[in-house]
Amino acid sequence: MATNEIQENALNNMGVDKTPFAASMLFPLFRATLWGLTGYFAAAWITALLFHTVIVNPLPATVGYVVGLICWLMGSGVWEGWIRRAFGGKEAPTYTGIERYFRFGPDSKSTAVRYVVLNIVTFFLAGMAAMAIRIELLTPDSTSWWLSEIQYNQTFGIHGLMMLLGVVASAIVGGVGYYLIPLMLGTRNVVFPKLLGLSWWLLPPATFAVFMSPTIGGFQTGWWGYPPLAQNSGSGIVWYVLGAATILFASLLGAINIAGTMVYMRAKGMSLGRVPIFVWGLFAAATILVVESPATYTGALMDLSDMIAGSHFYTGPTGHPLAYLDQFWFLFHPEVYVFILPAFAIWLEILPAAAKRPLFARGWAIAGLVGVSMLGAMLGVHHYFTAVSDARMPIFMTITETVSIPTGFIYLSAIGTIWGGRLRINAAVLLVLMAMMNFLIGGLTGIFNADVPADLQLHNTYWVIAHFHYTMLGGVIFSWIAALYWWFPKVTGRKINEFWGKFHAWWFFVFFNCTFFPMFIAGIEGMNRRIAIYLPYLHDINLFMSISSFFLGAGFLIPLANLLYSWRYGPKAEANPWGSNGLEWQIKSPTPYVPYPAGTEPEVVGPNDNYAAEAKEPVIWVPTPSK
Amino acid sequence: MTDNSYAKLMDPASERAKRGAFFFLILFAAIIFAMWDLARFLWGGTAVPATLNMGVGVALTVLMLVSLVPVMAARKKLDQGDDAGIVSSLATLIVVSLVMAGGIVYSWTTLTIGSGYGGIYDITSLWFLVHFVAAILALLASIMKITRTPERAKSERWVSYNVLTFWGGVVILWVAFFIVFYIA
Repeated sequence: MATNEIQENALNNMGVDKTPFAASMLFPLFRATLWGLTGYFAAAWITALLFHTVIVNPLPATVGYVVGLICWLMGSGVWEGWIRRAFGGKEAPTYTGIERYFRFGPDSKSTAVRYVVLNIVTFFLAGMAAMAIRIELLTPDSTSWWLSEIQYNQTFGIHGLMMLLGVVASAIVGGVGYYLIPLMLGTRNVVFPKLLGLSWWLLPPATFAVFMSPTIGGFQTGWWGYPPLAQNSGSGIVWYVLGAATILFASLLGAINIAGTMVYMRAKGMSLGRVPIFVWGLFAAATILVVESPATYTGALMDLSDMIAGSHFYTGPTGHPLAYLDQFWFLFHPEVYVFILPAFAIWLEILPAAAKRPLFARGWAIAGLVGVSMLGAMLGVHHYFTAVSDARMPIFMTITETVSIPTGFIYLSAIGTIWGGRLRINAAVLLVLMAMMNFLIGGLTGIFNADVPADLQLHNTYWVIAHFHYTMLGGVIFSWIAALYWWFPKVTGRKINEFWGKFHAWWFFVFFNCTFFPMFIAGIEGMNRRIAIYLPYLHDINLFMSISSFFLGAGFLIPLANLLYSWRYGPKAEANPWGSNGLEWQIKSPTPYVPYPAGTEPEVVGPNDNYAAEAKEPVIWVPTPSK
Repeated sequence: MTDNSYAKLMDPASERAKRGAFFFLILFAAIIFAMWDLARFLWGGTAVPATLNMGVGVALTVLMLVSLVPVMAARKKLDQGDDAGIVSSLATLIVVSLVMAGGIVYSWTTLTIGSGYGGIYDITSLWFLVHFVAAILALLASIMKITRTPERAKSERWVSYNVLTFWGGVVILWVAFFIVFYIA
């Protein structure tokens, strides 16, 4: 392609560092780990000495966490890459080669790749926790030979929190979105590149703290962290609160970049109507984080204050435990839309290119994405119908069920796009279609959760577990892997193995449904969630679910192996292997450190989903206008 | 001459973009304080404890309002391109931040954290303290960058603008805090 040749020649002259990997490049990671651990233990011990307590108590654990986090960040390169320069110190060198993946820096692409790696690692660790849960449920009472009830509680709490905040919260937004948003909008980087870089470096210590929470007493509350149980079930809850708050803050830094980049940095000619649909999905998710996460932050800090400072927000004579539920769910219901809206947008981004047809009802699809994000702000109460007054129930039931309308726009747009088209089904498209199927089941069963009479029966049963996994695992994770496959050539310049991609998709689809569909039945039959010991009449169905889950879990090794092998040995991909009109595909693959050379800008001159034979190129390259 | 260094190419946002996108952060901070302003009535009722020193509250609020004078002076200098001229204004704001931090810490001694009002007052004012510490660091960074690397400061003027915007936001939030916690 002519434009790529122009880019290639100019970019080759920029002298990008092509030094092969060397162990010394890992120095910032080692330094960050050393400084972080030293900072943690020093601060925690000093605090324990000053307050005549032990290091695992909530106050030393909190002080240690904060100091350790700051030390980790400084060690990762934040000091020389940002702080020193901000105070008028000398410039840090720019790392343009492999080394940039292992230290703090402003490149959104390497930040995104780091997100993918961390999400995969977290997914496997939290997945091991899921396997431990299913082993426990192989028999009605496995506490004598596997996890005790307390260990079981800790395990499902860590599994839930890490899968949600450590994986699905950032899998698509971070790993896919941060890579693509500048390229799709026609800019070289996001609006605040260093803030985006910082967002990733906040995650490893937060994730590590949550996984390590059992070492300081664990927590028994599940991923909700409800008081007063939170204050009475082990100091590990402190790391739960701090870890969750840190991850949410990292999400916020990303959200500011998404919103700011979309509003202010679109390429010339890219009106709001021409903004790629995936960016609209990211923007809808970002607005939720900016507007609604403050409620949950305040809840987390107040919960922490109760534990370390002696306030009584949720316990004691002035405590209002129900207020925590309001604060928590004010974000954490909409948070599921932060997870799923970018997944919806992935469907709508991939299907037009795969079917070579324009996105059907594009305006309605955008309205659907924005509509879900707006309605989602007002319905968290349906998570605790069993704990609130009657007056609130019909209001929140109605608003919740209304969400199905904008969601319907998105589905109709997707179906209308492929209707009558000739869909080229590769592994990514197959996973998108499966995600649509899974989410349809998850969404329809959600209506029963929202409906008060049904919810009062189904609350805290395995029905809810099934519904949630159909939306998150079946909807988000399927779409995430689809996105990794689809944009793999953009990042690596190579293609994945299509056979193993499709094989895994079917394996995943079959065992996912075998694992989670029976949970609807088990829930209706009376299987409560979060119990280590259940009644014997539920044994057979639990046995089936557990065995299916082991196959499902083992199946994730297939895409991992496929990605790793293809990254090294996969067939070389052309610059635009799917024939997509997306702006990101008009740039050289794999994307160079600087996506396109100095003095050149993209200008959008048409819609990016017009695949008619006579359609003109949607993008032209023009010289950067002089200021 | 156009700066085509890697650092410049990979930080392509215009000053307008940097200043505009900063408002998303301000919006986030404002909603946090709004949550706590509302929560004051849930946990603290409508009464104001007699131990809370109204004089200190009034003095801190007046100080915050007066601090808008150096903010406006600094903005005017920035608009005129006189970066060095804002150093004294920024230094004044550091002094104000230190006084505010002292006032907040003093007010903690007048209240019991275990009481409903004391708890919500303390945590809200603690959050202000965090903002003042952040302000001190940001102001110090701006001053040092202007004095040590004036050319770089000139090409990154959005940083100083955003610091001043941040301060303006904190003033508005503090006034709301004073009304809700001392008067309402």
